[in-house]
Amino acid sequence: MKKYASRIYLCLVFAILYIPILTLMLFSFNNTESTANFTGFSLEWYIKLFNDENAFIALRNTLILAVSSSLLSTIIGTAAAEGIYRMRSKWLKNAVNSVTNVPMMNPDIVTGVSFMLFFALLVALLGIDDYDSIGFGAMLIAHTTFCLPYVILSVLPRINELGESLTEAALDLGCTPVQAFFKVKLPNIMPGVLSGMVMAFTLSLDDFVISYFVSPSNFQTLPLLIYSMTKKTVKPDMYALSTIIIITVFTLLIISNIKSFKKSDKVRRKKGGKA
Amino acid sequence: MAKLIELKGISKSYDGEKVIDGMNLYIRDGEFITLLGPSGCGKTTTLRIIGGFETADEGSLYFDGVEISEVPAHKRHINTVFQKYALFPHLNVYENIAFPLRLKKKPEEEIKKRVTDMLKMVALSGFENKSVSTLSGGQQQRVAIARALISHPKVLLLDEPLGALDLKLRKDMQNELKTIQQAIGITFIYVTHDQEEALSMSDTIVVMADGEIQQIGTPTDIYNEPKNAFVADFIGESNIIDGVMLEDKRARFSGHTFDCVDGGFEKNEAVDVVVRPEDVDVVEPERGMLIGKVTSVTFKGVHYEIIVDIKGFKWMIQSTDYVAPEATIGLYIEPEAIHIMKKSKYSGKFGDYSSFSDELDQLSDADTAEEF
Amino acid sequence: MMMKKKRSVMHSIAAAPHIFWAILFIVLPLIIVVYYAFTDDTGAFTFDNILSLEDYVPIFVLSLELSVIATFICLLVGYPLAYIMAKAKPEHQKIFVMLLMLPMWTNLLIRTYSIMAILDDGGLLNTILGTSMHIVGTKGAVIFGMVYDFLPYMVLPIYTCISKIDKHMWEAASDLGCNTVQVITRVIFPLSMSGVISGVTMVLVPSISTFYISQKLGGGTFELIGDTIERQFVTGAYNVGGAISLVMMILILISIGVMNRFSEEDEGGIII
Repeated sequence: MKKYASRIYLCLVFAILYIPILTLMLFSFNNTESTANFTGFSLEWYIKLFNDENAFIALRNTLILAVSSSLLSTIIGTAAAEGIYRMRSKWLKNAVNSVTNVPMMNPDIVTGVSFMLFFALLVALLGIDDYDSIGFGAMLIAHTTFCLPYVILSVLPRINELGESLTEAALDLGCTPVQAFFKVKLPNIMPGVLSGMVMAFTLSLDDFVISYFVSPSNFQTLPLLIYSMTKKTVKPDMYALSTIIIITVFTLLIISNIKSFKKSDKVRRKKGGKA
Repeated sequence: MAKLIELKGISKSYDGEKVIDGMNLYIRDGEFITLLGPSGCGKTTTLRIIGGFETADEGSLYFDGVEISEVPAHKRHINTVFQKYALFPHLNVYENIAFPLRLKKKPEEEIKKRVTDMLKMVALSGFENKSVSTLSGGQQQRVAIARALISHPKVLLLDEPLGALDLKLRKDMQNELKTIQQAIGITFIYVTHDQEEALSMSDTIVVMADGEIQQIGTPTDIYNEPKNAFVADFIGESNIIDGVMLEDKRARFSGHTFDCVDGGFEKNEAVDVVVRPEDVDVVEPERGMLIGKVTSVTFKGVHYEIIVDIKGFKWMIQSTDYVAPEATIGLYIEPEAIHIMKKSKYSGKFGDYSSFSDELDQLSDADTAEEF
Repeated sequence: MMMKKKRSVMHSIAAAPHIFWAILFIVLPLIIVVYYAFTDDTGAFTFDNILSLEDYVPIFVLSLELSVIATFICLLVGYPLAYIMAKAKPEHQKIFVMLLMLPMWTNLLIRTYSIMAILDDGGLLNTILGTSMHIVGTKGAVIFGMVYDFLPYMVLPIYTCISKIDKHMWEAASDLGCNTVQVITRVIFPLSMSGVISGVTMVLVPSISTFYISQKLGGGTFELIGDTIERQFVTGAYNVGGAISLVMMILILISIGVMNRFSEEDEGGIII
């Protein structure tokens, strides 16, 4: 009885979560412009989308931005995590941590407008006539900044967990501190670094609010494109774009989960063998 | 003493693997009973079935003559002290102990009085307002005991409660647990893999292995009259030798015929012979019943541990007198020191000290230690 | 000793680029927000922007009302979900988590638009039912949008928290006399408080500051604080916009600080 109730509850909540997304995907195959009446199957909107140069430019921009900001934030963030771990002064540690977490805690809109004002002032002070000329740089800085706390949050626990003994062993065996970090510590905290990077990549890919306030006119990302599409009456081409994005995310999610499934399977088998 | 708890034909499997196989056991009111065995023998599962955290696949469980197999844990007059105490971190010491009484909506004064009394009993007066997470292991242990006892259960289950404590504290808590049990006079069912703990605290020991009961008895019975090679090896140190019962009170092993006190076997029946290391006397070779060569001598404080090779079988002997390694010595064994056991599935698995180990669970460590 | 100290200082240098970055791109922009909030068009110091916020109090109150209701519904719906997930078989748990993550990783705009397409006057729901219900443009639609968009943010932290609770806690509670409901109310809920608090923060902050959800599902009939900020900045009224942002940020950081104080005390209790 109880089991059934909880099963029904699960199904209900997941149904509510998924019905809108699935309807949207369905209507991307509609053969008319209607988003309420499914009149027949067609790939019309996908063809239209693939002929749309803007969509490709936006996709390219999004990927360039996501790759570069996730790389940059991973490098700075990993170094920062190591540095924070080494800090003796509790006060300094706390100060750095709280400042780092501000973009995570702050509503995106505040982070967005703070960057907007910052770059507006910068443009005025440096006497740059055209904001577009520093546009990509501004986007890169903004995205890297809001990704940083997530990278640090993902790496720092690994470093704390690893402790000092491995580094000390490396130093004892003749590594310089820098070598000890790269040859011994980094490989051991790699899972944290990678998951931080994936997190940063996805966050950058997904961001709309901050990009909305920072983006120059010549650098549109996919979320911004979707936003501009939904400003007018929406045609199913936006649905088609959304469907492609959803399916991509879904595939990536499944791939990463299958990997972890396999891993846990191995662990279980190992354990079973030992017992 | 009346039967308080009775297990009839209890079996339990996980993923097709039997952890308890047709177990029958009764537990008397007011006794301190210990389920003893190596890890994976089914002792914790047995305890969890009694506590109501698992249901048996087969068989039934009786409490005071009433079947309680289907009664949920919170309706049983049985409480548990968990392995890692399971104190509630969001409540302080006082509230943890008061927890069961609050559920029963007891009046505030009664709660206060009973908690205070209980704290006094476990020697934690003055700790009322401390957070449980600031307590030491031993103190947490006491809170867990107090919390389990406050609603006056008829039975207290203890699942390796001393496992997380250091040696000295463990000894102290052993005494204290025994004292508490005698003071309140209820049944304690105690699970451990530590034979010393079992021997020093229990009224009755149930030795378990592979989901089956190997022997039930008082500590002295179990030590002096082990039923099979497993019990002999698990409780204390034993030399377990293949032998033949020539007739009643005449056993032959290691190429010599001994007088012994056991009987009731078939003529020329193959048996396992147990001789405790402390029951063997070292004598001049010419006076010895058995003669062997000393392969190693280890100083153990109270005695020396001597390993002697007799016809390829390594005996362990504990003696207060020193003998030199490589020396040839004689062994003398009194008839009372020879215990004869029927052959079992454990025969031949234990008893030879050529790969000597201190404890079952330290096998690998001890092996390397011996080589040096 | 000397060696060790030197080494530690050298290693702390690894944090230098980040500290530099944080000062330049986190602290400085916020200072600029403060600067704009307290100056007028000419750059002269003024309290006018802050004082003019009085006009926006009703919008603040409305935003707070809608987002608090949405957060409460998320908690009400999300807690049982998280609990059921945490009690499911491990292999099922992974699937459930994945099912929750997918909408979370789907862009907010897409999700919001997908429910708008269903709830709209000429939308799927009215078409299927043959009715002409007017849903978009009501408070209910905005609240539903918030719940729909942010529910996974409530469920995941609570789920993580519950699944980390030692299984002996359940057993100890029922051993000491709790029935199924009491196990949850007396033991599990208090122990999952830190998950609840982080879930509440993760839903409340984006709900209170959203502008897209209210634009689409509010149908332009009412304005939330996020819309106000967006409008100020799009129309170039940086000073007033800065002042509103500043006040909102301070309010949110204070409430997060207060909530964290609670959960830290809680967690500290568990760890030490």
